[in-house]
Amino acid sequence: MLSYEPDGTLAHRLDPRSKLAIQIGFAATALAHTGLRALAALSVVAAVVLLVARVSVLEALYAYRYALVFLTLAPLLAAVTFGSPWIDLEDGATSARASYRVLLILLVSAAYVRSTPVRASRAAIQRTIPGKPGQLLGIGVALVFRFLPVLQADLRTIRDAMAARLGDERSAVDRASTIGILGLSRAFDRADRLALAMQARCFAWNPTLPALSLSRLDYPAFAVAVVLALSAFL
Amino acid sequence: MATHESTVDLVEGDVVRQFARAAVLAALIGVLGAIQIPYPLSPAPITLQVLFVFLAGLVLGPVWGTASMLLYLAAGAVGAPVFSGWEAGLGPLLGQTGGFLWSYPLAAGLIGLVVHRGTDLRDPASVPLPIVVGALVAGTVLVYAMGTGYAAWLLALEPWEAIAGFALPFIPAELLKMAAAIAIVTSGRIEPVQS
Repeated sequence: MLSYEPDGTLAHRLDPRSKLAIQIGFAATALAHTGLRALAALSVVAAVVLLVARVSVLEALYAYRYALVFLTLAPLLAAVTFGSPWIDLEDGATSARASYRVLLILLVSAAYVRSTPVRASRAAIQRTIPGKPGQLLGIGVALVFRFLPVLQADLRTIRDAMAARLGDERSAVDRASTIGILGLSRAFDRADRLALAMQARCFAWNPTLPALSLSRLDYPAFAVAVVLALSAFL
Repeated sequence: MATHESTVDLVEGDVVRQFARAAVLAALIGVLGAIQIPYPLSPAPITLQVLFVFLAGLVLGPVWGTASMLLYLAAGAVGAPVFSGWEAGLGPLLGQTGGFLWSYPLAAGLIGLVVHRGTDLRDPASVPLPIVVGALVAGTVLVYAMGTGYAAWLLALEPWEAIAGFALPFIPAELLKMAAAIAIVTSGRIEPVQS
C-alpha cells in the first residue's frame, strides 16, 4: 500500500498545490495523446517525477496491481473480434497505447501520495476552494483519514463475530446485509458522538489553519504544470 | 503584544450531525474497498462499496449523500487508501475506474432524490418498495453507464468490448447488492437524521 512517508526530497518540499497542478497538467496531456513519441516523452516525465519523490517503480506498480489487471485486459478485449481474422492486432495496439498512458497517470499520482502529508492536502483544499464548501471538504477529508483505522477495526470485529456464529455459511445477500446494517449502525453511532464532540469544541466555519506559502521551488513547478497542460493542445 | 480578534461562526447543529455521518460513511466505504471478495466472473476481486453508495443516497438523502461521496473521492485523491484494493491518489480518479468513481456522487444524489422526493428526509423504510427498487436500478444503471462509457473512451474500446469487460461480469453481484440494500432499508434499523 502506498502512503505518505516523511523524507527530504524535492517533492516533499514542494507546496501541495503545485504538486496537484503538475498531476492535472500531466493527466491533461496524457489523455490528449496516444502517439508513440508522445508516450515516450510522457514516460520520461513520469520517471523523473518518481525519481524526484523517491518512489520505486515496482512498489508503485504493486500498489496499483488491480488496475493493471484491467489495463492488460483492455488491449486483449480490443484485439479479439468475432469472425475472421479473430485477432485484430491494430485495434489491440491502439488500446494498448491508451492503457499505457493510464498507467503513467497512476504512477505520477503515486509520487503525490508518497510525498504529501494529510494536513498539507487539507490546507491546500481549504485554501483553494473558497467558503463553506471548502471548509467542509477540508475537515471531511481529515476525518476520513482519522476514521479509516477505527472503522476497519469495527468491521473486523463484525466479521469475526459473524464467523464465530457460522455466519459465513449463510447466503451472500444475508451476509452483505448483516455487514451493511451492523457496519452502518456502528459508524453512525460514532458519527453522532463525533458531532456532539465537535459542537462541544465550538466547531466553526472559520477555524485557524497552518500557514502555506509558495517557496522559490514552487514557481518552476507551476511553470512545468502549465507547460504540461498546454502540451495537450500540441 | 499584538492580538488578533475575530468572531466565531458556529456550524448549525443539524449540519454538524449530517456532516459527521457523511464523513464517517465516506471512511466506511474506504474500508470496504480493502475487503475483497473473490469473484469467479472477474479477474479482479469485487467489493461491497456500491452497496454503501446506495445506502448513502437512501439514508443521508440527496444533499449529504452526494457530499459524502465527494468527501470519499477527495480523500482518495489526496492519498487515503480508500479506492478498491487499497489504491490512492488522483490516478484512479482519471484511470479506467474513473467513470465508476465519479458516478458515485451522482448515483447517491439520484437515489436520494427519488426516495426522499426532495431535500427533506423521510424514513426510507416507509417509502413504497417499487420506488426504492426503481431508485436503486436507476442508480446502478448510472454507475455502469458512466463507468463503462469512460473506460471505453479512455482505453480505445468498442462499446460492446467495454460492456463485456467492465459491466456484464458484475451484473449478478450488483443484483445481490441491491437485494442487500433493500433488506437493510426494510429492516428499519437505520434511521436518517430528521431535522
